[in-house]
Amino acid sequence: MELNGLSIDQAPPISAPVRFFITAPIFGLIAGILIFFSDSATLMSRFSIESIVITHTITIGFLGFIMLGALTQMLPVLVGAKMPKVVFVAKYSFILITLGLIFMILGLLHNDICTYLSILGLAGGFLMMLGSMAIALKGVNNFTPTVKAISTSIFFATTIVIMGIFLLYSYTDDNISEYQIIIANIHSVWAIFGFGGILIIGVSFQVLPMFYVAPKFKSFCKKRVVWLISTGLFLWLVFSLFKEDYTIFAKAWIALFFWAFATTVWLKLNRRRRPISDVTVWYWRTASIFLSLGAFLWIFDEYFKHEYIVMVAVLIGGGFIISIMIGMLYKVVPFLVWFHLNGMGYMSIPTMNEMINKNLSKAQFILFVLSLIGFIFSFYIPILLQISALAFCISMIILEYNIISPILIYKKIIKTKPDFDMSLFSQKD
Amino acid sequence: MSTIKEFLTNDHSKCDEIFASMEEEAVKSLENTRPLCEEFIAQTEKHFQMEERVMFLEFETKTGMTQGPTMMMRQEHTQMRALMKDMLNAIEINNKDKFFGYSETLMILLQQHNMKEEQMLYPMAQQHLSAESDRIVDMMSSLTAQ
Repeated sequence: MELNGLSIDQAPPISAPVRFFITAPIFGLIAGILIFFSDSATLMSRFSIESIVITHTITIGFLGFIMLGALTQMLPVLVGAKMPKVVFVAKYSFILITLGLIFMILGLLHNDICTYLSILGLAGGFLMMLGSMAIALKGVNNFTPTVKAISTSIFFATTIVIMGIFLLYSYTDDNISEYQIIIANIHSVWAIFGFGGILIIGVSFQVLPMFYVAPKFKSFCKKRVVWLISTGLFLWLVFSLFKEDYTIFAKAWIALFFWAFATTVWLKLNRRRRPISDVTVWYWRTASIFLSLGAFLWIFDEYFKHEYIVMVAVLIGGGFIISIMIGMLYKVVPFLVWFHLNGMGYMSIPTMNEMINKNLSKAQFILFVLSLIGFIFSFYIPILLQISALAFCISMIILEYNIISPILIYKKIIKTKPDFDMSLFSQKD
Repeated sequence: MSTIKEFLTNDHSKCDEIFASMEEEAVKSLENTRPLCEEFIAQTEKHFQMEERVMFLEFETKTGMTQGPTMMMRQEHTQMRALMKDMLNAIEINNKDKFFGYSETLMILLQQHNMKEEQMLYPMAQQHLSAESDRIVDMMSSLTAQ
């Protein structure tokens, strides 16, 4: 039995998750700028190059980065899993994915050699990170529902990376076949629901009762939901490949459980014991509303020749997943700063609530939600696209400022002498 | 009789319950929060002492590990004791913002600490101390906080 499996030293240094967190809003901003210079007619097609570039700037650069950063932090704390060579892996996978994504944006927009370079960067970075996480999870003895959900989401993440690399490679050649469109369908649904969705569900089993003293999730929910959703995702794969007419059944199955999750989150927040209603609670509620709308629209879209699929992506990718990620950043970053400083013996630290300006976080929230609503209606009123993109860009700039503020506090305090010498507590290797 | 893991996990829930009541009261007014805050601190301190004066010592004697998980848990107890004192001071000066700043930080620190204990340390302790489980639970329940 691993007896050293429990220590503050096992958590990675603050730089490991934080570099992912502070880079995410920059890619959010880039996506906003790309949307600003686009037009709604082009973005209505999910297979236009602009749509693919913008989608991946957000899904890899914003969502992927926050999820990977959070996982490096959560695996030791929530799960007790130690990632091998976490400092090395976090640093170099970050560099590889960042470069890979930049090359992907340039490569797809200009159709040149950058696409090949992006394949190397993205495949190397993601597989290094996911491989390290898989090794860490292999050593876990206590297989809780959260561990199962994280493991499942990492499985889906690995498969979508492989599919993504295949699709990216196929873009080096202009002939996109029907077969590649099928792979793209599996890739996108598995990414949103298999990686993002299952990860959020698994973490929420712990986070909602912990941070908001909300009622615990029912045993059925914790034990079965991840498997039920995974079954739906595999049905999606099988039907997409062999019986396309039946994909509606898999879609309804997946959407049903995500809608149930959205409703459960809403009800649990209503029954939470913690009376505080901060911006993170607003983000959870927003995610719940957008996920419900998105789940229904996804089914509805089936009967309208997929006209609304980009709207579904805005509702679920933006309204559900981005909302949860931002809400989580507002809790995690100030806590990490406080935790690491306090652990080093600094006692005169601002409280978590003092590290991020509350009014700015509210302004960021409002701009973000308005931008999403604007994106949805821009399908009918094209002029809204530019205004919404502008609101989205400003919300990302404010988010970056809000995330960097606690980091600057950390940098400032760490230059001073600690109130206590904590070297006695440091783990001896 | 409950196992070490069950006994200490249930005690975490008791502390959480008082913490939630304390915050509920604090939203209305800090003036009436002091008794609940003191009750929370007393209950949490008793829990820390059950661990530090009984379970951790037994675990360390049995495994020979004094520099491992128990040391880190003690460090986090120290961090939490300081935050609990800060919360009382915030009540003293009637500063809601400060109070909720400390309670928020304590809440997250406490929960991630409890999770590490419940998911890792307690199962380890239960495994190593299973033969003496009843005696250890008895000693912990009869402990009076100092």
